[in-house]
Amino acid sequence: MGTDPETVRDVFASHYFLFAFLASLGTLQIAVANSGTRGLWLTPLRVANRWLGVALILSGIALFFLMPLWIEGPWADGSVQADSISREWGQARWGELAGARNVNDIHGGLDGTKQAIWFPLAAILAFVVSALTGAFSIRFQNRGGSPATETGSSPNEGGLAGLEKHSYFATLPVSLREFRVEIGGVWRTGLQAADRWSLFKMIFGRSSN
Amino acid sequence: MSSLDADLVIWLNGLSGNVKIFDDLMRLIASDYLMPLTFSLAMFGLWFSGKNPAERVKYQITMLVGISALSLSNVVVWLFNISWDRPRPFVEHGDELNLLFYPPTDPSFPANPVAVGFAAAAAAWSINRKFGWWMFAAASLFGFSRLYAGVFYPTDIIGGAVVGIVVFMFTSYLRRFLEPLITSFVRFIRGLSAA
Repeated sequence: MGTDPETVRDVFASHYFLFAFLASLGTLQIAVANSGTRGLWLTPLRVANRWLGVALILSGIALFFLMPLWIEGPWADGSVQADSISREWGQARWGELAGARNVNDIHGGLDGTKQAIWFPLAAILAFVVSALTGAFSIRFQNRGGSPATETGSSPNEGGLAGLEKHSYFATLPVSLREFRVEIGGVWRTGLQAADRWSLFKMIFGRSSN
Repeated sequence: MSSLDADLVIWLNGLSGNVKIFDDLMRLIASDYLMPLTFSLAMFGLWFSGKNPAERVKYQITMLVGISALSLSNVVVWLFNISWDRPRPFVEHGDELNLLFYPPTDPSFPANPVAVGFAAAAAAWSINRKFGWWMFAAASLFGFSRLYAGVFYPTDIIGGAVVGIVVFMFTSYLRRFLEPLITSFVRFIRGLSAA
């Protein structure tokens, strides 16, 4: 191969991150549109979010697999069908596009561990973008007089349930408060209800009373 | 058995080279990125999919178990690999195969990507049968594409599928040892308004 694996890996990592981010954002939009979690919607309309989600996923896939046509990498003309070690640096041709991304991880492709690092980061970024955009979306829905949103009042419950009618920023303090209040009880009742083989039950005793 | 295994991969891979668009489709599906990301996205989507708090907690705990099963599948595959270094089909029958994928250097049995796919599918199936069957179909297609590409034997694919499902069942069983830690973790994520 014309270039060392680290350089190839950097190219793959940045492309994969973009792919994972777009696809995660799309998946999140479809999921929250179906569950009615308005605080994470990119647009004020449920159906628009679903189609936007599909479009984002398809864009991510298309971008990732078409990128070798205009971005230089280990997929130069005529080298894609070769073993990944003997590939040359450059742009791919249409006819060889399908195999362009098939590079062994020892030659710079991303192995499962690297993907397991990049995917959660992309998914978290997708959540953050949805939460930020969702705050505007909720405000827009409220301005339109939609009865589904209650931005004026504070949420009754935290977590994703609170996001059904409120923005992330309105829900976060309630979620944190609930966590502080409930976590002790969750642990105590959880210990009592846990299976008798629970390691924590064995360590902390059968009952915390 | 070994001969039948080799005959099957040689026959199936022998179909390649006739319809280029089908070969290209198999190359895309066999890629290290498309199907693994699909499995990850399915689990990510299910995390947010519950329609009420009780359903969400059930989905989210199952997804955590599923993620643990994915990790454990890799460990189990590695244990198989260090105990049996089965050569890849293209190593033993290189002159009879048209390799559509890069030649992996790790042992053939069991198919690691298939194990991961089936572990994710089993997790999805345990909470939503219809969606789970689609996931099983996707994992099977992933295995088929690697078989068609000439990098696995059929028994590697079957072995990978069994590893994925058994490891998920085992991880679900193990969950009882870790309660209430898992529920508390979900509550913590809920405290960040993400569960």
